[in-house]
Amino acid sequence: MTQRRLWIAISWLILSFGFCGPVLAHESQPGLLELRQLGPERYEVIWRAPIYYGRPHPAELQLPPDWLTVGEPTLRQLPDSALHRRVVDVAGGSIDGSVVRFPGLEATITDVFVRISRLDGSEASLVVRPTQPYAELRGERPWYVASGEYLVLGFNHILMGIDHLLFVLGLLIIVRGRRMLIKTITAFTVAHSITLAVATLGYAHVPGPPLNAAIALSILYLGPEIVRVWRGETSFTIRHPWVVAFGFGLLHGFGFASGLSTVGMPKAEIPLALLMFNIGVEIGQLAFVILMLLAYRSLRVLEFRWPRWLDFAPGYAIGSLGAYWTIQRAVMMF
Amino acid sequence: MKRSNIVAPVAAVLLAAPAAAQAHLVNSGLGPFYDGALHLLLSPGDLLGLVAAALLAGLRGARAGRLTVTALTISWLLAGMIGMRLPVTPDLTWLSVLSFLILGVLVAFDTRLSPLAVAALGALYGALHGLLNGSALAAMRAAPSALLGSVLTVLVIALLTAAAVVPVRVLWARVAVRVAGSWIVAVGMLMLGWLAQGVA
Amino acid sequence: MKVERCLHPGRVLLATLVLASVWPLLAWGHVESGQAGGFLSGLSHPVSGLDHVIAMVAVGLWGAQLGMPALWVLPVAFPMMMAFGGMLGLVGIPLPGVEAGIAVSAVVLGALVLGQVRLPLVAAVGVVALFAVFHGHAHGTELTPGQNAMLYSLGFVIATGLLHATGIATGLINRWDLGRQALRGAGALVMVGGLYFLWSAVR
Repeated sequence: MTQRRLWIAISWLILSFGFCGPVLAHESQPGLLELRQLGPERYEVIWRAPIYYGRPHPAELQLPPDWLTVGEPTLRQLPDSALHRRVVDVAGGSIDGSVVRFPGLEATITDVFVRISRLDGSEASLVVRPTQPYAELRGERPWYVASGEYLVLGFNHILMGIDHLLFVLGLLIIVRGRRMLIKTITAFTVAHSITLAVATLGYAHVPGPPLNAAIALSILYLGPEIVRVWRGETSFTIRHPWVVAFGFGLLHGFGFASGLSTVGMPKAEIPLALLMFNIGVEIGQLAFVILMLLAYRSLRVLEFRWPRWLDFAPGYAIGSLGAYWTIQRAVMMF
Repeated sequence: MKRSNIVAPVAAVLLAAPAAAQAHLVNSGLGPFYDGALHLLLSPGDLLGLVAAALLAGLRGARAGRLTVTALTISWLLAGMIGMRLPVTPDLTWLSVLSFLILGVLVAFDTRLSPLAVAALGALYGALHGLLNGSALAAMRAAPSALLGSVLTVLVIALLTAAAVVPVRVLWARVAVRVAGSWIVAVGMLMLGWLAQGVA
Repeated sequence: MKVERCLHPGRVLLATLVLASVWPLLAWGHVESGQAGGFLSGLSHPVSGLDHVIAMVAVGLWGAQLGMPALWVLPVAFPMMMAFGGMLGLVGIPLPGVEAGIAVSAVVLGALVLGQVRLPLVAAVGVVALFAVFHGHAHGTELTPGQNAMLYSLGFVIATGLLHATGIATGLINRWDLGRQALRGAGALVMVGGLYFLWSAVR
């Protein structure tokens, strides 16, 4: 009985920040900047700025002053982004050492992928983060620099994905026993790694809006199960939470894939990017699980107690938040 | 004293440095909530006393821990909300250093205060630092969710620290806690010295 | 839920303390490389002066020899007394013969360890406290311009504490016969080192 109450407190903690920040509840789509060499001194610049909370993205693209634009820049509005295209002449032909800036990016939570492809067939890519809103263009990066970037990217992606974290929290409440916990978390990890890989390698694609709605549905699904646990009832989910974790994990993996854009990424780099991004996600998820377990244990040690009526709240809260997101995201589909 | 001739440039630089450092919030790249959490994690002045209060409460048992964690967090939140509305950032560095120094002394000497007294001290500390933290966030034009991020971090740190100490019965482990308290006192005393020099 | 069984209280506490001591490095090293300088120089300062190092370690060794009450009273009292000395230095209260005092402290502590001298608790704390004040006065106050005083102090205290802990941990070999002899040998080394520093200080 007391255990449930402890979980309640933790759930409230999480929920308080779920509700306060509808901001956090969204997937943050990364931006993409492609630089393609067309001639000895000529480059095509494509800047895909994602829609940021229903508005044009606040960040701009600022090219080095010595890059001269040829012809008219074009702008195409896509459902999820704005596509800016222009052709530039670079005196001397070398873009190495040039600095591309993204003023306004520092106030956002958007990462930008930069891809460079040259006439000689060489390709390079790098990631620009809001903490350092500019990119110094170079040729090849050492593999460990690239690895670190993708690792941080994955870690941040899971920290921002309150819906994924909430799903994991729901699993934690349902699961009993250490063995079952390990089994469930492993199942979730394996499942989302599979679909993350499938989606990143381009074997399958799920459009964003229905996917997000389905992820919200997975949270909604856990609400009644939690209430069932607290009533002392049982169900298939409660007896075999790992099966549910695996099933929905497949879904969440597609969600993670939205944080890793491989468009124009050098083929050779994709496996590394995928691996490190995935590891980053797992580190973030493990950190979350450990923090939750520690918080749970701490509340127990300090013998926190609260009124009986609060017992059922988190189940209902997780359920209603899931329902709210499901409806909201379903509406967004049309 | 060979030190005296470098005091002036040191003072000049350091007096300017905090102002520059406070001009913007540390950017976590993850939005205001995590920015607020990170801001707290990078403010040793706030953290030392927070840890000291939690250690003190933990040494005094589960009830003291429960009361202190609750009182400290709530007072931090309320004072933070007031602080975010203050037009100026109050300069209470002395008081802030003194507050964690005193809590450190109480931990180092394993003072047998009643749980309510510990909770009251925690609430006082929370009020003072919540106010400072809130006004610092306001000065950086942080969003309200930054305050929420920092308060939740306060809660988690206080909760985990107090709960880590409560079940400790072995002598060496209790001593380790008291040593931690004495380290906090030591930092506080050095800081008082720097403040007297006008450096910190 | 049985998950928390693996979270043994001692382990959790240990993990917490270790995390707390490396956290400043992780945090500032990552975010503000300019700020990390203060912490790192505070951290490296006590380690860079050999006279300081051997005296710190000797305090730990002696504490381990003295056994129970002193073994835990000294680590609690020492950082506070040292910081007190540092504060005196910062406020501008001069302490005569600081350099010689530090060297003398190494000689005396070395001699105490060598002779396995057992002083009453109050006297032992008094001796160590006196030396701690000297060390703090000399070393706790050297801040490079532009660095953060709080981080410097934090680094300084952590490094000193860890040196002290090293001494205590080494001192635990006192349980065995051979260890006891080795400990006395270490005391002799500290004493010789102290004499060398004393000689360089008065020369």
